Amino acid sequence: MATAVQIRQDKVREDLWRPLLQTRGRYVVALVLAGLAGAWGLAAWGYQIYEGLGVTGKRRPVMWAFYITSFVFWIGISHAGTLISAILRLTHSRWRKPVTRAAEAITVFALMIGGMFPIIHLGRPWVFYWLLPYPNNRLLWPNFRSPLLWDVTAIFTYLTGSVIYLYLPLIPDVAHLAEHTTGWRHALYRALSLHWTSSDREWHALERAMKLMAGIILAVAVSVHTVVAWDFAMSVAPMWHSTIFGPYFVTGAIFSGIAALLVVLAIVRKTMHLEAYLQPVHFDNLAKLLVLMSLLWFYFTTAEYLTTWYGNEPWEMAVLGARVRGGYAPLFWTMVVCNFVIPFVLLGIQRLRTIRTATISAAAVLVGMWLERFLIVVPTLAHPRLPAAWGTYAPTWVEISICGATFAAMALLYLVFSKLFPIIAVWEYEEHVSNGRI
Amino acid sequence: MFLTGEFSQAEATGRAIEALKAKGFGPQALDMFSTEPVELPPGVLDRPSRMSLMAVAGAVVVCLLAVVFVYYTQRSYRLNTGGMPLFSLWATGVIFYEMAVLGAIGATFVMFLWESGMLRKDHAAPRWKGAEGELALEPGRILLRVRCEPEHFAAVGECLYAAGASRVEKVQNKS
Amino acid sequence: MAHRWGMAIDLDRCMGCEACVAACHAENNLPVSDPAQAAKGRAVHWIRVDRYYEGEFPEIRVKYMPVLCQQCDEAPCEPVCPVYATYHNPEGLNVQVYNRCVGTRYCGNNCPYSVRFFNWFEPKWTAPLELQHNPDVAIRPGGVMEKCTFCVQRIERVKLDAKAENRPVADGEVQPACVQSCPAEAMVFGDLNDPESKVSRLASSGRATRLLEELGAKPKVFYLQRGK
Repeated sequence: MATAVQIRQDKVREDLWRPLLQTRGRYVVALVLAGLAGAWGLAAWGYQIYEGLGVTGKRRPVMWAFYITSFVFWIGISHAGTLISAILRLTHSRWRKPVTRAAEAITVFALMIGGMFPIIHLGRPWVFYWLLPYPNNRLLWPNFRSPLLWDVTAIFTYLTGSVIYLYLPLIPDVAHLAEHTTGWRHALYRALSLHWTSSDREWHALERAMKLMAGIILAVAVSVHTVVAWDFAMSVAPMWHSTIFGPYFVTGAIFSGIAALLVVLAIVRKTMHLEAYLQPVHFDNLAKLLVLMSLLWFYFTTAEYLTTWYGNEPWEMAVLGARVRGGYAPLFWTMVVCNFVIPFVLLGIQRLRTIRTATISAAAVLVGMWLERFLIVVPTLAHPRLPAAWGTYAPTWVEISICGATFAAMALLYLVFSKLFPIIAVWEYEEHVSNGRI
Repeated sequence: MFLTGEFSQAEATGRAIEALKAKGFGPQALDMFSTEPVELPPGVLDRPSRMSLMAVAGAVVVCLLAVVFVYYTQRSYRLNTGGMPLFSLWATGVIFYEMAVLGAIGATFVMFLWESGMLRKDHAAPRWKGAEGELALEPGRILLRVRCEPEHFAAVGECLYAAGASRVEKVQNKS
Repeated sequence: MAHRWGMAIDLDRCMGCEACVAACHAENNLPVSDPAQAAKGRAVHWIRVDRYYEGEFPEIRVKYMPVLCQQCDEAPCEPVCPVYATYHNPEGLNVQVYNRCVGTRYCGNNCPYSVRFFNWFEPKWTAPLELQHNPDVAIRPGGVMEKCTFCVQRIERVKLDAKAENRPVADGEVQPACVQSCPAEAMVFGDLNDPESKVSRLASSGRATRLLEELGAKPKVFYLQRGK
């Protein structure tokens, strides 16, 4: 399977640079569509700011809903990248080379999008900067013990780290590109290359920095999703106040991250004609990882629900009942099918495991993981301890527009990125080819 | 002044480096250029690095700065917390952890710029696409540049050719 | 000694008339929801009367329980606010600083009693209700949380009066709107730091319980009911 297509070294640049310099009609159509959808989301947000949060479906006691779900979802997607690419780098997995840049780019964009949601969700988004610690004369200082401040620092660190982690291996590529382009592209690549000269000192420093950053980014990525989980677990709400939440969320994040990576790779492979680079072996390996994470997710979910059910505490049972047999049950069982049954059957059986089934399973997992976050956020809030305060929730067109538009934003960012930079790290791939290790 | 030799194989470059080191041109005087990383056996052209150490140092420093920052600002913006302590190490521990990691990231990036020589522009690099007849960096080629005085040119050039260089040229200080 | 305000509510006296709810609306400038918003569950009542049913029809008994902010000593809503908009004042009140609030609604999630309310829109009053606003109470803008304050404006007024007359605040002198309006005199307000105050004596009587006491939030509202 691995020797399906042989690539000549001198063709690597040609193949991987071609998408940067040639623009086809379909690309423009995709760009415009994504732009329009994104603009629609922005308009919806503007409407929400103008009218007030009442245009959403939120009501007491469901104070958090769609936006926080999307926040957790996108932060989870961001683990695609960095975490997977870091693990593959640290374990010297050779097959990682065509995959890492695509994954690292997902991370940066998913974080940018995810980081927007807490602001969209605020009652007064125009004063979000009150959460930042800087000298001011409002006699106001952020409360560092609030998990939301932990979130702010964790996401800031993660975004900084993952931008650097994406940027470092990009430097040799942009330096090479700067030599072969003219005009604004030359100026952009030249500036980004920091006048990289390809000396052995630079290569040494780059390799060392990448190795260090891979370790560091693992430490941040795990902590970031743990902190997101702690937003919930630190509260006293039933079925939120759970010690398992940190690792449970990290597992879910990696799970949905791999799924996002698979979907993106499948699209990139088709549209940019990179069949020779993104080979079945890459999808096969990622699919195996997906099955592994699916099992792990199933284990955590079982551990969480079984202990709650056996403990039979009334407040928690109200939430659990609402999830598994009450009004949220259709969503719950869809989640189980998407997150466990589909990937386990389609990818666990070797005969069924192809690029197509891997992509289908990954798409199912994305749906399932979005539902999982929704089921964590809403039913708990809808069933507070005093039954007299129980409530319901249904989203409005504003929330659906904004959350839907973020997917368009992801597509838009990815389209622009793939037009500016090679989606596969060219120098890493060339090294890969010239060492005869395809 | 620099003298640059062009090679096509890593092994030949390694031999040239060993020979030059025997003549007293240490790693400080040598630079190797290639479009992809060249793997030489350990000990041939090592670049000692303090990056890991500095990453740890950056983590410790920024973490301590964060602790001091939180400690003093919680006191100078004193608010009644209703019995809760003004400063709580456990409840703010996540922030210190994240700041430590941020310190490590920052230190790593700065050390990358420093050790790669990208911050210090004191040595010129060969051009990518040279003019006709000039040495240029192209895929598959390795350029070994030696910093030396003109009186050593002959000896260094001999070394380079003996190891298997296909061409040797003088390069001006500014490219 | 500093005051530590608390309340006792006699559930055996409460008949669920909701006079407290109406009085609270008038005193604290609560916005009036339109029917559509109220049906969505967005009506704001700083005090509400929960109903609990006992037995099967027709042998049914309804028990009423007025629920307002319990002014917890260790309030779960306080540490989670990222901007200190909700904090503890020196008299033990759990106060909400509207100007600081950015509207994360984290406090609302973390309140086990669900007594925190969010302003989903800019507040509105149907004419002529806007003419009867209480000048002592701020109007909350859209996008911020609000909740029962134990009528802090009345507490401050009484303290100022007492200071002007150079005397201590007498027991029973402070009356939040709900306490004042209760026809059954089911609610008693006072200083828990004064062992002789009526509320202190009721709180230490055998009939006193606290709502969801097992969570350890140490509420300062005591519910009185006969033992079984």
